[in-house]
Amino acid sequence: MALEFQKKQVLFNGVVGVEEAENLLAWLQKKSGVSADLSACEHLHPANLQVLMAAAVPIKAWPADPVLAAILQSALTAHPSIQEQ
Amino acid sequence: MNPLLEQFLSEARDTLEAIGTTLMELEQAPEDGELMTQLFRLVHTLKGNSGLFEVPEMTRVLHAGEDLMDAVRHHEIGFSNELADCLLDAMDHVARLCEDLEAERPFDAATAADTQKYVTALRALMPQRLDADPAQSPLPAGPEPLPIPAAERLAQLPEALRMSACLGALQATPGQTLVWGSYLPDEQCFFQGEDPLYLVRKIPGLLWADVTARQDWAPLVSLDAYQCQLSFHWLALTDAEALAAHFRYVPDQLRQCALPPLRLALPQGDPNGGPVYEDFVHDALALLDAGDRAGLGRAVRSMLELSNAALWLSSALRWLQSLLQAPATPDEALRALILSLRQLQWPDWSLLATPAPTGKAPLTTTPAAPSQATEAPQAGGRNTADLANAADTPEAVAFRELLSVQAEILSLPDDAQWLTGRLQAVSGALGACLRANGREDELPALAAATAQALAEGRSAPLADWMAEAFAGAQGELQRPTAASGPDSEQGSVSGPVSLSDAAHEDVHPDAQTEPTTTAALSTPGAPEASALTASGASPADLEARVERRGEDHASAKSLKVDQVKIDRLMNLIGEMVVAKNAIPYLANRAESVYGSRELSREIKTQYAVINRISEEMQDAIMQVRMMPVSFVFQRFPRLVRDLSRRLGKDVNLVLEGEDTAADKNIIESISDPLVHMVRNSLDHGLETPEQRRAAGKPAQGQLRISARQEADRVVIEISDDGRGIDPEVIKFKAYEKGLIDEATLERITPQEAINLVFMPGFSTADAVSDLSGRGVGMDVVRTAIERVNGSIALDSVKGRGTTIRLSLPLSMAVTNVMTIETDGQTFGVPIDMVVETVRVPRASIRGIKDNLVTVLRGRVVPLKSLNRLLSLAAPPLANDNDELAVLVVRLGEDYLGLLVDDFHETTDIILKPLAGVLGGLRLYSGSALLGDGSVLMVLNVKEML
Repeated sequence: MALEFQKKQVLFNGVVGVEEAENLLAWLQKKSGVSADLSACEHLHPANLQVLMAAAVPIKAWPADPVLAAILQSALTAHPSIQEQ
Repeated sequence: MNPLLEQFLSEARDTLEAIGTTLMELEQAPEDGELMTQLFRLVHTLKGNSGLFEVPEMTRVLHAGEDLMDAVRHHEIGFSNELADCLLDAMDHVARLCEDLEAERPFDAATAADTQKYVTALRALMPQRLDADPAQSPLPAGPEPLPIPAAERLAQLPEALRMSACLGALQATPGQTLVWGSYLPDEQCFFQGEDPLYLVRKIPGLLWADVTARQDWAPLVSLDAYQCQLSFHWLALTDAEALAAHFRYVPDQLRQCALPPLRLALPQGDPNGGPVYEDFVHDALALLDAGDRAGLGRAVRSMLELSNAALWLSSALRWLQSLLQAPATPDEALRALILSLRQLQWPDWSLLATPAPTGKAPLTTTPAAPSQATEAPQAGGRNTADLANAADTPEAVAFRELLSVQAEILSLPDDAQWLTGRLQAVSGALGACLRANGREDELPALAAATAQALAEGRSAPLADWMAEAFAGAQGELQRPTAASGPDSEQGSVSGPVSLSDAAHEDVHPDAQTEPTTTAALSTPGAPEASALTASGASPADLEARVERRGEDHASAKSLKVDQVKIDRLMNLIGEMVVAKNAIPYLANRAESVYGSRELSREIKTQYAVINRISEEMQDAIMQVRMMPVSFVFQRFPRLVRDLSRRLGKDVNLVLEGEDTAADKNIIESISDPLVHMVRNSLDHGLETPEQRRAAGKPAQGQLRISARQEADRVVIEISDDGRGIDPEVIKFKAYEKGLIDEATLERITPQEAINLVFMPGFSTADAVSDLSGRGVGMDVVRTAIERVNGSIALDSVKGRGTTIRLSLPLSMAVTNVMTIETDGQTFGVPIDMVVETVRVPRASIRGIKDNLVTVLRGRVVPLKSLNRLLSLAAPPLANDNDELAVLVVRLGEDYLGLLVDDFHETTDIILKPLAGVLGGLRLYSGSALLGDGSVLMVLNVKEML
C-alpha cells in the first residue's frame, strides 16, 4: 500500500498516487496529533502534498532523494516565504 | 492505407457534405439554434477525428471553424453570408486535404501556407475577446516574461546551491542559460491527469525548486484536495528548446526569465566587521587592477582561513573564490564583490551587464588589464556622471560599432598583400576616433604603433595598441568634461569602467555574444527573457489530444456497402434466374424423353416455388441498387447558390420528388448532364432581376427540378421561368454556324428549331464563360442520356420559360427482348425498339431503286434484310404462304422493317455488354445467357444502319 496508516503516523511508501489524497484527507480529518514519515517515499502526487500542507502535519522523516526532499521541505516547513511573481 | 484511415475519409466526406447542407439551411434560417448546434457538432466531430492522423493542418482549420461556430451558437456574433462563404471555402479546402490523404500525397509547404490562409480568414471573423485563450490565438503571444526576482528572494536559496549554479552557468556551454521560472498549474489540472510536481522534478537541468501555496488553506473539513492551489518556482541550467519541449502542454501556465548568474552572488552571514577589512579591500583591488587573479585568489584564501566561516565576510570571500574559478567572470564583478565588503551589503547586480558564458579562453580583458593601470588617470579624467545613459547614446553605439569593425579587420589573417592597406586604413579610422574624442595627444602613440605594425608586417602591434587605448573606453563617450577626480574607485557600483569592459567583450571578434548582451545594459534580464519565451511559445499548437465524443448517428439503421459486393450479388442472381429457367426444359424432357409425367408435374410444381423466390430475390437486389435521386439533387442547392451569386441573379430552387429511386448506374450517368442543364438555365434561361422586373415578372426566378416515377420509367424535369428559347435566334445561329442550310432554315418548325440545340457544336453564347457556352453541352447531354436508354425532350415558350424532360428506365438490369431467328441463328432485339411483328406477302414488297419498301397501315416502311445487315449470305426465308417476316422497329421518328426468318418469344434477360475484344462490335449491344444455356446476341439496331 502506498499509504500505510498506523496509530500515530502515516507512512508514505514508493509512489503515492492521486487517488490516495482522499484517504489521506479523511484520515487526517479524523485524527489529530499525528505525523508523517516520508523516508520511503519516491514520489507523491501534489494532491497529497496539498493535504499535508493544509493539515500542517509534522514530518518525521524526509524522502531519501535530496531533490524531492528539498522541494517538500520548502513546502512543508514554515519559512518566511515572500509571495512574488 | 489502413482501414482506420479509410473509414475516416469516408466519414469525413459525409460529414463535409452534411456541413455544407446545414450551412445552407442556416443561411435560410439564420436564427435557428438547432442548426447552429448541429453544425458546430459536425465540425467538432471532424476535428476530433482528424486528430488521430498526422494532419495538423486539417485539425487547425477545423479548430478555427469550430471556434467560429461556437461563437455563433453562443450569439457572440451573428450568422452572415460572409461567414458562410468563409466556412464553405475552408471546408472545401478540408475536402481537398482529404483527397490528398486518400491519394497519399504528402502535405507540403504550399498546403501549409494555404491552410494558414483559411485559418487566418476564419479567425478574423471571430469576435474580439479579451480573455482569448493564448494557446488558440493565431499569433501565440506567449506568457509575459517574469521579472528577475529580487535579491531577497534569491538569497533564500542555499548558498552552496547558488554558488554551484552561478559557477556552472558561467562556465556553461553556449546555449545553456540559467533560467528562473514560475509554474502555476491550472486549478483543475489534476482532473486532466497532470502531475505538476512530477513535471517540475523532471525539468531538464533542474537545480532547485520550491512549492508554495497560492492562498491560505481551507480548514481540513472542507478542503478540496483535488483543486490545485500550488505554485512552483524553479531554477534550472538548460537551453530554451529543451525547456519549451518539456512544458509544451502547459505553456500558458509558465513564466520564466533568464537569470544572470551573478545575481546569485549574494553573501550572507554575520555582518561583524572590523578595520582589517579595509586593508584587504585595498590590497584586493590593487591585485585586481594589476590583473593578478592568481594573486587575488591567494589573498582571498588566506583571508578566508583567518575568518570565521559564519561571517558575512567569509561568505563574500567564498563567492570571490568561486567566481575566480570562472575565467568568464568580469573584473567588475569581482570588484563589486570586493567593494561590497565595505558596506557589507549586496552588490547591485542589476547594474552589471551579464558576461557571455563562453567556455573558452579568457577574452582580451586580460591584456587590457595591465594597460588599465597606466590608463587609470586618463580614464579617470573621462569619467562621465552617468555612464548608463551615455552608453546608450547613438554616438556611443556608433563608436562601439566602429571600433568593433576595426578590431575585426585587425584580427583577419596577416596576408601580405592587403596588410599594408588594411593597417593604414584602420590606423586612419582610429586616428579619427581619437580626434573626435579629444584624444589628439594619443595620436603619436597611434602612429608609432602603426609604424611598428607595418614594419613587422603583422597587425598585432596595432591591435594591441587599439585594445589598450580603447579598452575601457569602447562604450564610453569621451566627453572632455572631467566629472570627478581620477577616482577609479567610486564607492557606488556604477563603476564606469565596468560597463565598457563588458561591452568590450562583445567587441572581440571571436566572442559568441548573446544577442541581448549589448542591449542589456540597463535591463539585463528582460531581453534575454523575451528571447527565451519567444522560442518557448512556438511549439504551442500541439493538438495531439483527440476528443472523441460519441455523436448520435443513426448508425444502426443503414449500412455502408461496397459497390463491388452489390455487383457481385447482381451477377449471382442473374445467373440464378437463367439457371432456374432451365428447369421447365428439364420437366419437358422428363415427360417427352423419359416418359415420366408424374415426375414432370412434380418438377413443374417445384419450379414454381423456385421461380417465385428467385424473382423476389431478383427484385430485392435490384432494389438495393436503387438510389434516391436526392444523391444527385443534393449538389444543386450549393451549385445554384454559388452560381446565382456569381451571375448576380436571384434564384429560388425548388426540388421535388427527391425520394424517387432509380438504378445507381443511371443516377450516376445523369449527374453531370443535370448539372450542365442547371447551369444552362441559370446562365441563359433566367434573367437578372432588373430584366425580369422590366418584363413584368417577379424579380426572383424559379428553377424547379422534379423527379417522379411513371410506369417503368423515371421522369426528371428541369423547368425555369426564364426567357425561354427563341426559335428564330436558334435558327439563325445554326444557319450561321453552317449546321443547317437555307432550305432547312425556311421550312423548319419552331419545335424543330428548338431541338437544334442538340446539334454538336451549337451555342448561342457570344462569350464563352467557364459555365457554359462552349457549344458542347446539349449534344453531350443527349448522348449521355441515350446511352442509358433514356430520352430527352426540350420544351420552351419564349419569354415564359423552358422545360427539359428526361425519361429514364427504372432499372438497367433486366431487358425484355424479342428473339428472332435468321439464317438459323437466334438474335435478340430490345422490345422497346419493336413496333410490331408482321408477315408481309412477298407481293406487297416493292423495290424503289435499290431499296425494298412496303406499305403498312398507310405508312411506307423501308425494308432491310437482316441477313444482309449481318453480312450473312442467305436470303430471308419465306414461310408457307410466301410471306416474309418483318420486324418493324422504331428508329427515332422513323420506322424500319427488318426481314427475318421467324419470330420467337419475348424473354427477360440480363443484358451484359460485350467485353474485351468483342466490345468493339457496335452491332451488338450485348449478350445474354438463355435458359438452355445458349448465348443470345442482342442487336443494336441503331448501329446497324
